[in-house]
Amino acid sequence: MVARKKPSTMVARKKHYRPPGKKKEGNASRYVTRSQAIKQLQVTLGFFRRLSILKGIFPREPKKKFKGNNHTYYHVKDIAFLQHEPLLDKFRDIRAYQKKIKKAEAKKNADLATLLRTREPTYKLDRLVRERYPKFVDALRDLDDCLTMVHLFAALPAVERAKIDVELIHNCRRLSHEWQAYVCRTYKLRKVFISVKGIYYQAEIEGQKITWLTPHAMQQVLPDDVNFSVMLTFLEFYETLLGFVNFRLYHSLNVKYPPILDPKLEALASDLYALSRYIVSNTRTSTLEPKAASSSPSEQLEAKEKEMQADESELRLAQLQHQLPSNEPGALMHLMEGAECENEDDQDTKECKRLFKNMKFFLSREVPRESLLFVIPAFGGVVSWDGEAAPYKEADQSISHQIVDRPTQGHRYLSREYIQPQWIYDCINAWIILPTEAYMVGRIPPPHLSPFVDNDAEGYVPDYAETIKRLQAAARNEVLPMPGVGKEDLDDPQNLLVEGYISRAEASEAAQTKKKMVTLEKQYHEELQSELQGAVMKKSKQGSTEHAKASEESVPDPKQIAEDIETMSKLGMSRKKRGLLEAIEKRKERNTARISKLKERKKKLKSSEN
Amino acid sequence: MGASKKESVEVDKKKNSKKTQTTKKEKHNTEESVLAQKQEGAATDYKELSADDDSEDYKSVGESEAGDGESSGDEGNHKSGSSEGLAIDGQSEDSEPDQGAEESDSSEDEVAPRNTVGDVPLEWYRDEKHIGYDIAGKKIKKKEKQDKLDSFLANVDDSKNWRKIYDEYNDEEVELTKEETKLVRRMLKGKTPHADFDPYAVLGLVRAIRKGYIKFDKPKEEPRFYMLWGDDASSSEKTGHLSYIPAPKPNMPGHEESYNPSLEYIPTQEEINSYQLMDEEDRPKFIPKRFTSLRSIPAYENAVKDSFERCLDLYLCPRVRKKRINIDPESLKPKLPSRKDLRPYPATCYLEYRGHKGAVMSISAEASGQWIASGSSDGTVRLWEVETCRCIKVWEFGEVVQYVAWNPLPELPILAVTVGQDVFLLNSGLGNEEIQRKVKELLHVETPTAPEDSGNKVSGWSWRQDDEHEGIRLRHFKSVYSVEWHRKGDYFSTVMPADILSIHCHLIAFLFLALESIVLCMKSISHT
Repeated sequence: MVARKKPSTMVARKKHYRPPGKKKEGNASRYVTRSQAIKQLQVTLGFFRRLSILKGIFPREPKKKFKGNNHTYYHVKDIAFLQHEPLLDKFRDIRAYQKKIKKAEAKKNADLATLLRTREPTYKLDRLVRERYPKFVDALRDLDDCLTMVHLFAALPAVERAKIDVELIHNCRRLSHEWQAYVCRTYKLRKVFISVKGIYYQAEIEGQKITWLTPHAMQQVLPDDVNFSVMLTFLEFYETLLGFVNFRLYHSLNVKYPPILDPKLEALASDLYALSRYIVSNTRTSTLEPKAASSSPSEQLEAKEKEMQADESELRLAQLQHQLPSNEPGALMHLMEGAECENEDDQDTKECKRLFKNMKFFLSREVPRESLLFVIPAFGGVVSWDGEAAPYKEADQSISHQIVDRPTQGHRYLSREYIQPQWIYDCINAWIILPTEAYMVGRIPPPHLSPFVDNDAEGYVPDYAETIKRLQAAARNEVLPMPGVGKEDLDDPQNLLVEGYISRAEASEAAQTKKKMVTLEKQYHEELQSELQGAVMKKSKQGSTEHAKASEESVPDPKQIAEDIETMSKLGMSRKKRGLLEAIEKRKERNTARISKLKERKKKLKSSEN
Repeated sequence: MGASKKESVEVDKKKNSKKTQTTKKEKHNTEESVLAQKQEGAATDYKELSADDDSEDYKSVGESEAGDGESSGDEGNHKSGSSEGLAIDGQSEDSEPDQGAEESDSSEDEVAPRNTVGDVPLEWYRDEKHIGYDIAGKKIKKKEKQDKLDSFLANVDDSKNWRKIYDEYNDEEVELTKEETKLVRRMLKGKTPHADFDPYAVLGLVRAIRKGYIKFDKPKEEPRFYMLWGDDASSSEKTGHLSYIPAPKPNMPGHEESYNPSLEYIPTQEEINSYQLMDEEDRPKFIPKRFTSLRSIPAYENAVKDSFERCLDLYLCPRVRKKRINIDPESLKPKLPSRKDLRPYPATCYLEYRGHKGAVMSISAEASGQWIASGSSDGTVRLWEVETCRCIKVWEFGEVVQYVAWNPLPELPILAVTVGQDVFLLNSGLGNEEIQRKVKELLHVETPTAPEDSGNKVSGWSWRQDDEHEGIRLRHFKSVYSVEWHRKGDYFSTVMPADILSIHCHLIAFLFLALESIVLCMKSISHT
């Protein structure tokens, strides 16, 4: 009896008390805090940070935070993974080597220092890329941040203080151009959105939607409260990743990577760099004296002009890259391949390819050229610009659209339309050629809507979205636009074709009948629905009358009953579920509040207009 | 001694000059030329290295070399016109113009000899009056030879005479500078001509080259990018570590982030002002703005910061795989059964037990289910047969009956009733004779004597035989709310308010009595 009791007490003790030196159990054995991890790896925090960024190791949330809420927890396996990373040793070697150099320099042994510098050990991140993304699709899936970062750095000035190298920026620019060239060439671009933060692009490659943000082509100001070493570590990995992704993509097109560029243009690029550098030094002084900068608009103008110039040469580079595949020696092969590709293309790509077909664009000086040079060819258009090395000049009679972003246009060719750049983006997002009337020079264009929003799910559809919807339907020959709205359709060729089939009157008639049909259907549905509801209501009423007969007291109120049922069901819920439900309801409420606010504002605007 | 030295120098010089003249394009065998070559080789090495990486140290070394060359050139300048003596240095370098281009190409170094006869034995002119021709083609006349004695006397007078050399080619006397004499001396000793040139450095370089520290052929650059993902089918090897949780993608921009949003998205000035009053967390981070044209969009000031914050999120935020909550809120609610589904349930009144004149306070069913007892506010307890609604027995108490409860044992059909301050244990009169006998025996209590009142007060209750209702009457000092039997039928408990004065007078007086020991209990009480 006694003997049997003893072990049970032992077991009971073990649960609560762990003698020193014994293994831990539970979360404490599976997770370590960051400081513990650093101790284990015998590295500094900076090293650890760098390593975890490159390896893609992130903290994980234990179920129970055994050291409290203020700690970061890593999984033990993750740390072991870091510990076995060859890069860790490599970093140590590099550090030791740098100490050697420092020592030589301190001893004024310049020969040795220089000799050592020539043989500095380097490291590669190829293996890490492969390890983190075992399949190409995985890499594509995670490419959003990579592209955003690379595009951002391509627009940044080189700053020694932040250790942002010239070469780094050049490399970023090159990588981003290569990527854009691929997307453009294969017509993979799907959506574009100009926001205040920059321009969002969305491409679809191998079924993966890849969204990235490019800053506006302006001089970026570097904030002081940013740790650039962290960003640069990220960028280091991203550069490698994007390089390999580009290689693979170019390989799929049978184009050699890295593309070989015209040395003349390369020289231009370096020239461009010198310019940008100059601008950086200028801005640095201007940040020191913001007042002076703001007070002298002429200086700013100058800077802008320089930027424009810089853009130009950069664009030439970009353009060359765009043309590159056709310039390759195996151009014929590319043609063949292009034909093959067309068969393989999915429906979307085909449609994208056709959007700006047979249109010839010309960009004026003041429009965002880089973006448009990327976007227009990606949808099958032909484009030229004002400047050297442009494929055709402004005077070309075959130009169908000139993109202008200035209050007034002086000399006009009658054969072409003068439109604002937003037209291009709106057309791309709507996938139809929109009427150009609203986008004429000097007008305030209609609102630019985000293509990333599902209006129906959001519950609020802006007016212009509805207009676009109607136009889309018209383009698909389903319903013609409402009379009065579609008179600007006369301008564009597609709708002209449509109108060729049906005369105006017929069209409006058809529209009206369609509308009637729709309303009828709607009515029918409503009735059906109300019937259904009514039946339910009646039933509940019957039930309640029964109830009333039985009790002879409570007056039945369907609303009251519904409420009762609700509260009853809420009472029956578990606490967890109730919390969830409340959260959902709260969110719903917030959404409806937002939408009602929008509607209210709209109403106010309308009333003020009237 | 001085004369002998001078002579030897002269001889040496002559020899050298001759050699340079005769074998201009041949390789030099002399020590100094080899050394010079080495020096130049080293210099070129340096140059290559410095081309590799623009380290200043190498440059400085290169410059010092170049400086040496120049300085020697400067020395040559002092003696412009008679470069015979200098030819050692200058021409040896000239012979390999491809190597030492930097050092020997300066024009000052190359002052053309006055004589243009070229590389011919001077014996040919021994008997002529001229020694050769100048650039214009005019004859250069030989100088009048001084009398040997005169010249000797002059030489004796001149202390610098030992430095003077006769240049046969140009028919001139050349005076060596101090530095040049030093050079010559060093060469005679078999040392390197320049004092600041360290041959051991060259040795070091040679060693470095041999050991492969310095490489001349650049390592073949491997292509930086290659096909990393060959065919994806083969790369499905499973990694041993934890599952990768991809970071959530940043939110997509909505209509309000557009540079030209619909007007209704732009908050009014009042609203913007009201944001200032809001809590930091509730305040909207992004205030929509409208630009009427693309050209007027400024640079986004937080571009770098946003990117940085995203970086921080990526490597600092713990990631947890969470199931997306995409549920219909209705599905969360438990389904209440509709009343229809609960049928059959009694919907009509089936039996009615009539007889009570006041509200029924409590009912209790007997263990067998055949009988029901009910207590009413009219002061009666009635015993009913369930099936027939017949009232079998009525007890009248005259006070409101609060509670009735059957003993759960079927063989003891005893009813507990609370009336005011009393609890009655009643014999229901059910069951056969044996049962009746047993019950009667149980319910018989001797009436306690009067002096025991004090003890009763302490215990809070008193037992008394109640003849009127054929049972036991338990008197409490306060009104009793309810009475409940233990499921074995041995004990029962009563509930009454503990204290009226204390407001939170929940209750409670639990009395546990064994029916069998009631008598004993009473006896013991009476005895004490």
